[in-house]
Amino acid sequence: MSYTLQFGQIWPFLPRLLEGAVVSLQIAVLAFCGGLLIGTVCAGVRSFGPRWLARIVGLYVVFFTNTPQLVQIYFLYFALPDMGILLSSFMAVVIGMTLNAGAYLTEIQRAGFESRRASEMEAAEVMGFSRIQQIRYVILPHVARVLFPPLSNQFIIVTLGTSMAAVFGVEELTGEAFNINAQTFRSIEIFSVTAGIYVVLTLAASVGLALLGRAVFRARTELI
Amino acid sequence: MHHLDITGLEARYGEHTVLSGIDLTVGRADVIGLIGPSGSGKSTILRVLMGLLPPVGGTVKLDGTAVNYADAAQVRRLRERIAIVFQQYNLFQNMSVLENVCVAPVKIKKRPRREVEEEARALLAKVGLGDKLKRYPDELSGGQQQRVAIVRALALHPEILLLDEVTAALDPELVSEVLDTIRLLAKEGMTMLIVSHEMAFIREVASRVVFMAGGRIVETGAPAQIFDAPVEARTQDFVSKILRH
Ligand SMILES: Nc1ncnc2c1ncn2[C@@H]1O[C@H](COP(=O)(O)OP(=O)(O)OP(=O)(O)O)[C@@H](O)[C@H]1O
Ligand SMILES: [Mg+2]
Repeated sequence: MSYTLQFGQIWPFLPRLLEGAVVSLQIAVLAFCGGLLIGTVCAGVRSFGPRWLARIVGLYVVFFTNTPQLVQIYFLYFALPDMGILLSSFMAVVIGMTLNAGAYLTEIQRAGFESRRASEMEAAEVMGFSRIQQIRYVILPHVARVLFPPLSNQFIIVTLGTSMAAVFGVEELTGEAFNINAQTFRSIEIFSVTAGIYVVLTLAASVGLALLGRAVFRARTELI
Repeated sequence: MHHLDITGLEARYGEHTVLSGIDLTVGRADVIGLIGPSGSGKSTILRVLMGLLPPVGGTVKLDGTAVNYADAAQVRRLRERIAIVFQQYNLFQNMSVLENVCVAPVKIKKRPRREVEEEARALLAKVGLGDKLKRYPDELSGGQQQRVAIVRALALHPEILLLDEVTAALDPELVSEVLDTIRLLAKEGMTMLIVSHEMAFIREVASRVVFMAGGRIVETGAPAQIFDAPVEARTQDFVSKILRH
């Protein structure tokens, strides 16, 4: 028996998919921003901090970049309650993805920190900049410019990674697709529409970020 | 009282002594031309004065007061009075021309932005960069970047300006633009130490010329004396070689 595409049946569910997409974006933005904060601090520690602290950061990075993200979130969701820490599935996913993104973002940013320019820092130093001011006015903007393209890329990766939340019953885009599929069994239609929404999300994010990068950081970004 | 009084200054890179027994007095509005072969320690003197390389011996007095380079607070105060222009410009690549000039006065010295910008615009216009305010360093020629670096130093209102090979990395036609800027400053009475290979320029702008070799001052004198009637054999040798081409 051949399968007849019937998109008509799933249009009524489109609003639910879009609501799911909003949740996906929320998770992505939370995890990415949190990860960026962690990554910035950790990359700073690895480049400028005391050796013992840099070691600890190194362990963190190795752990999170060498274990599956799904397992990391499982740990938060199922193992932490045994230690008396209860997390909603949404929070477990957000925290897990934040820690994971933080590890990758540490590595990405470290490359940028190490491209810091000794001569510019020296110029800043003789102009009266303190160490902190040198980092803030000279290193970070430079790092931002160099790093904007790989960071945007990482944001896309995080956005797509949010589909993992479906496993924990979070009603984000993939989760909603699962639910609707269970109700209608129009798998091909539902998952092609879902895939289409992901494409729109990531394309919009890349173009938006590329434009932002050009305008704010003079990053050398390609639009597509 | 001398503006800058350097006695017995000694500096090392690791084990390697690069400056020894440097004695130099610089009066207010003096323009000192520092010349000498490559590796003779010209840049090192400027770096030591700025506190980028702590001296291992000797004293530096600013307006008669000795500077303790081990004291961060004193070094900070010194850097408010002396500015340096590096040979490689060292402009902030992430800032526009205007921002490069304004960032330290506004963010570090907390002067009002309007006032600083007004002054920066005037200075940049004076050196022919009035139409480049929004450009970034990588969009400028070497000569233009060099002039931005000079203006950036001037915006700090230094009493003393150290210029390291400010013309070395430039095309000949750009050299004249930068030299015009420096001449202007000399005329306005800024105390300057200028390292340069442009003998013609040093001759014209310097009130005194210092010839260095091997980390020591070999000879000091008026430009005419150093270039036309050097006393020391090493100076004669250097001058005759460099003037020949
Ligand atoms: N960062 C450094 N580490 C070790 N040695 C250095 C360093 N910088 C300079 N030197 C050495 O110190 C000596 C003096 O160098 P300096 O840069 O002051 O020479 P210079 O007169 O400015 O030469 P040039 O005309 O080539 O600029 C040289 O022997 C040089 O090799
Ligand atoms: Mg030099």
